[in-house]
Amino acid sequence: MPNVSVTINGVTTSVREGVTILDSCKTAGVEIPTLCYHPDLSLAGNCRMCLVEVEGWKTLAIACVTPVTPNMVINTHSKKVRHARRTVLKLLLAAHNVNCPECERNKNCELQELAEKHNITFNEYQTSPKPSSIEEVSPGIMRDNSRCIMCTRCVRTCEELQSVAVIRPVGRSASVNISTFMDLGLNNVPCTQCGQCINRCPTGALFETSEIRQVWEAIEDPEKFVVVQTAPAIRVGIAEALGLPTDRTTGKMVAAIRGLGFDRVLDTDFTADLTIIEEGHELISRLKKVLVDGDTDTALPMTTSCSPGWIKFIEHKYPDLLPNVSSCKSPQQMFGALSKTYLAGKEGVDPSKVICVSIMPCTAKKYEKERPEMRDSGYKDVDYVLTTRELASMIQEAGIDFDNLHDEKYDRWMGDSTGAAVIFGATGGVMEAALRTAYEIVTGQEIPFEGLNIIPVRGMEGIKDAAITMPDKMASGFEFLAGVTLKVAVVHGLANTRKLMDKVRAGEVDYHFIEIMACPGGCLGGGGQPIPTNPTVRKKRSDAIYEEDAVLHFRKSHANPEIQLLYAEFLKEPLGHKSHELLHTHYTKRD
Amino acid sequence: MSRKPEDIVSAAVVKHGSGREAVMGILTDVNRELGYIPEEAIKAAAKAVDVSNAEIYSVLSFYSFFSTEPRGRNIVRLCNTISCEMNGSSDILDAIEKELDIKTGETTADGRITLETTSCIGLCDESPAMLINDTPHTRLTPEEACKILAGLE
Amino acid sequence: MSEKRILTAAEQPEAGAALKKSLEMTKADVVFEVRESNMRGRGGAGFPTGVKWNLAGAASGANKMVICNADEGEPGTFKDKLLLEKYASKLLEGMTIGGYAIGSSQGIIYLRAEYPYLVPGIMKVREELISKNFLGEGILGTDFSFDVEIRMGAGAYVCGEETSLIESLEGKRGEPRNKPPFPVNSGYLSRPTIVNNVETFVSVPYIILNGSEWYQDLGIGSCTGTKLFSISGDVENPGVYEFQMGSTIGELLEVAGVKDVQAVQVGGASGTTISAGELDRKLSFEDLPPGGSVIVFNSSRNMMDVLENFLEFFVHESCGQCAPCREGNVRLLDTARAIRGGKITSREELKPFFMLAEVMKLGSKCGLGQTSPNCFVDIITKFIDFPDGKGGM
Ligand SMILES: Cc1cc2nc3c(=O)[nH]c(=O)nc-3n(C[C@H](O)[C@H](O)[C@H](O)COP(=O)(O)O)c2cc1C
Ligand code: SF4
Ligand code: SF4
Ligand code: SF4
Ligand code: SF4
Ligand code: FES
Repeated sequence: MPNVSVTINGVTTSVREGVTILDSCKTAGVEIPTLCYHPDLSLAGNCRMCLVEVEGWKTLAIACVTPVTPNMVINTHSKKVRHARRTVLKLLLAAHNVNCPECERNKNCELQELAEKHNITFNEYQTSPKPSSIEEVSPGIMRDNSRCIMCTRCVRTCEELQSVAVIRPVGRSASVNISTFMDLGLNNVPCTQCGQCINRCPTGALFETSEIRQVWEAIEDPEKFVVVQTAPAIRVGIAEALGLPTDRTTGKMVAAIRGLGFDRVLDTDFTADLTIIEEGHELISRLKKVLVDGDTDTALPMTTSCSPGWIKFIEHKYPDLLPNVSSCKSPQQMFGALSKTYLAGKEGVDPSKVICVSIMPCTAKKYEKERPEMRDSGYKDVDYVLTTRELASMIQEAGIDFDNLHDEKYDRWMGDSTGAAVIFGATGGVMEAALRTAYEIVTGQEIPFEGLNIIPVRGMEGIKDAAITMPDKMASGFEFLAGVTLKVAVVHGLANTRKLMDKVRAGEVDYHFIEIMACPGGCLGGGGQPIPTNPTVRKKRSDAIYEEDAVLHFRKSHANPEIQLLYAEFLKEPLGHKSHELLHTHYTKRD
Repeated sequence: MSRKPEDIVSAAVVKHGSGREAVMGILTDVNRELGYIPEEAIKAAAKAVDVSNAEIYSVLSFYSFFSTEPRGRNIVRLCNTISCEMNGSSDILDAIEKELDIKTGETTADGRITLETTSCIGLCDESPAMLINDTPHTRLTPEEACKILAGLE
Repeated sequence: MSEKRILTAAEQPEAGAALKKSLEMTKADVVFEVRESNMRGRGGAGFPTGVKWNLAGAASGANKMVICNADEGEPGTFKDKLLLEKYASKLLEGMTIGGYAIGSSQGIIYLRAEYPYLVPGIMKVREELISKNFLGEGILGTDFSFDVEIRMGAGAYVCGEETSLIESLEGKRGEPRNKPPFPVNSGYLSRPTIVNNVETFVSVPYIILNGSEWYQDLGIGSCTGTKLFSISGDVENPGVYEFQMGSTIGELLEVAGVKDVQAVQVGGASGTTISAGELDRKLSFEDLPPGGSVIVFNSSRNMMDVLENFLEFFVHESCGQCAPCREGNVRLLDTARAIRGGKITSREELKPFFMLAEVMKLGSKCGLGQTSPNCFVDIITKFIDFPDGKGGM
């Protein structure tokens, strides 16, 4: 597209023809308020916050959807524009249950921020206050439509990024609201509980089902032995959730959590490493069954199983492909099961007194822990799940000065981490970790990538793939893989996943192993992570994760000393009897 | 015996196709035959055109003529827009509500009649007017309207 | 100017005559003739039909579409119903000519759900035209084929807005689209599409038969041709009347038989409310945009009743997509009720609501929200007295 000249607030600049007024203003450093616009989503143009004046137009122009034309003269703060903006904002507020102090999004709300910026202290259009209405409750997600401004960002997220499409506008005119099929609620429709809608909601209409209160109560109960596990992506999200710059802050995070009063601070990274060992062996065993035994019942490609949003998605949408999913529980659930068996033994506490809390970047984990099959320890394996945001809120409530904490270390037995586990937090990370370990198991050598960095599976492209050809000389027992080219794929976001799974179902691809993460960017972009999310934010979190990987002493899961101890003393061998009992699971077809 | 909702959808798909653009035709067929669009029909339609159940529900909730609630054998739509209003449609509404002992939006206990009001139906020159199912009735008086309703099966 | 029956004349030109003539012309000449006639769309917005056809004809894209907007839902409008009932042959002929002109073989009539009883009649006419080879495959021995189907709406006034209509045809909620792209480039199923009002299509055969100059001589200035008006309310002879463009509202009322006038609503609920003192205003796009509806209120009517009824209509019919219209109409209705309830008693208190009306006009996504405040502004300004003067700003 050629460049065209436009004049913005009296300054003439050159922009690419066809870009929107909003984008050209952004380039020119002129800020325009928006609400329904989101960089991850298609354009809706329904909130009308972004209106600007274009010379010669009878109506105002909607900056987010209107392409610039040659010699367009744009004014973004004329009297007309300012009046219109204030009026639109007041209309939205008038139809809104404004109750900021009691709102999940207080101080992180786009509507509130605009109201503040526009100095809306009095609203002529406010006739009667809108009562709160918690309309939907599910294990992971809650909705209060009295705070909804009908921007449809959640709707577009669910449809465009996740291809789930369980939430839609229902009704019309002033009685329109966002709802589910037959208004059944998210718990009774194929919602994956991914929480991506929460992350893109500009207001407090969507939020996680909170368990902060239950966790405080557990901490305060002297009878209980409360252990906490932190998922890989929390360490690059917590600072951001506390309003600090994105950074990896593992040591401070551990200190802060300990400061909250948990009995043990442990790491989901530990069971991420364990997942790699178990899943790696499962993959090798599947390959052997297919390649050596000619078994036609063994399903390939094998897919990962650590993303509960993905699991719920496949249970609803591709139940015929459930045999392809690894039987490994997610790291969170492996941790839960071990915390009430192995750890209880090590610590010498009564497993019935152990409360397992996990800090997750994810709302689907709240759903996952409620699955009836997740009780293999004899107890509910994981009791409570807090999102990164909820953890931040507890740290704030406790008055902990996060930024000035000294680094502390995780407690022992289940606190060791490797770089391989840390990168679980980014799309491609599980694959990279799995390859680092599996390759070494079958060949006896390190995977031949510079610094163990398997670049082809990194990055934010929707579907990535790679092929690795095995050497001629294999470790003993794995000769059947000599010269075999292992084909792998990595996908994140459920819309991308659907594209790939359609191909898998149609037999159009011949991958052996696929990593699938429900959320765009992987767990670092999870539904429990700090708000906002956008490509820039996700890139920063991803950079932080790979930095952490690079500085850790152990980079490969099988090198984790505590994992080695776990096998030596408790599990005995990968895919062994105890593993099957505690660490593996099965799936259910759902409507 | 009326057909099952799923069968109506299947027949409609033969008629209108299974593209997204067939949705209005499919929903209209179900709505006309059953008086409303039951859950099973929504699911069948969603499956036929390959969109989510929520999507079909969302679409039908937009249009006044579609309903997910079972309705009477006859649907009365009395116009309440200006020309009819000026010529006494609210008196007619009162009379009908009293006669049938239901409120607007409700269905008689015997399932005979559902009463609705509607925006302008283009019969302003013969107002006040109403549609009963597909048939217009014009220049109504309260008595006349009640008499017509009494004659419905 | 005066009453003049052309579309509704007792003597009608032979079916197919205009089509025959069109097929002897080049497509470009047909578009040229329509353009030269200066006819502007009869659906309300008044966009020049020839310009629209020219754009669609020039647009790249296969399977171009001709869509007839028969969603007639503007309160007080029933002129398209008359045309669909009595002059469907001319409608189908006009659509066919449109198809020829833009290079389309597929037509759709989007008929409002409230008119199901018109379907058999239209379908019968279609059969007749097919049997005469005026419609269908290889029309009149040429390689031009064209057919028309009817698709039903389901009760939504906003679906008369052309992009909302297209959404509805695509099986979606009738929510108006962002423009650009315009339908002429990307309409139904992303194909180049013309959407025209029933009356627009019905007028086309007359333009082709009699020529653009003849058409230009009807009407005044750039407002050419005749126009149908549905007249209702406090008149002796409600019904559909055909007048030349540029006739005054007074002339219209005289023919329809009106004695006592307090106010006249021109162009439906979204149109203009005029007072008895404005009866010499001309029905034209420059003065009083004509639409298709004229509703008369005599002096016994309370104009606040009228306002409330209109605003209830808009609150019910807004698609609810964009903030100014979804929330704005509710606030205007609240305000109208507050005035009646004596809660608002001065012009001063109304200021924010006139501002709101202005913002709705400037910032709503489609014509519904852009015009729904008209009645609020007109009626309060012209008919409501406050202690500090009449209601306006
Ligand atoms: C809310 C709304 C309702 C409309 N309803 C109709 C209608 O019922 N019939 C119609 O022809 N045009 C209607 N229009 C105008 C159409 O958008 C469009 O301009 C018209 O169909 C174009 O045809 P024309 O150029 O032949 O008038 C409506 C517009 C709006 C904004
Ligand atoms: S959504 Fe925003 S504006 Fe509304 S109550 Fe919450 S913080 Fe306040
Ligand atoms: S949680 Fe995920 S699947 Fe559920 S409604 Fe939100 S975006 Fe859709
Ligand atoms: S729930 Fe949030 S994202 Fe969804 S429409 Fe409402 S305000 Fe927008
Ligand atoms: S102006 Fe009204 S009808 Fe038009 S798009 Fe906005 S809400 Fe919908
Ligand atoms: S940001 Fe442009 S209309 Fe909402």
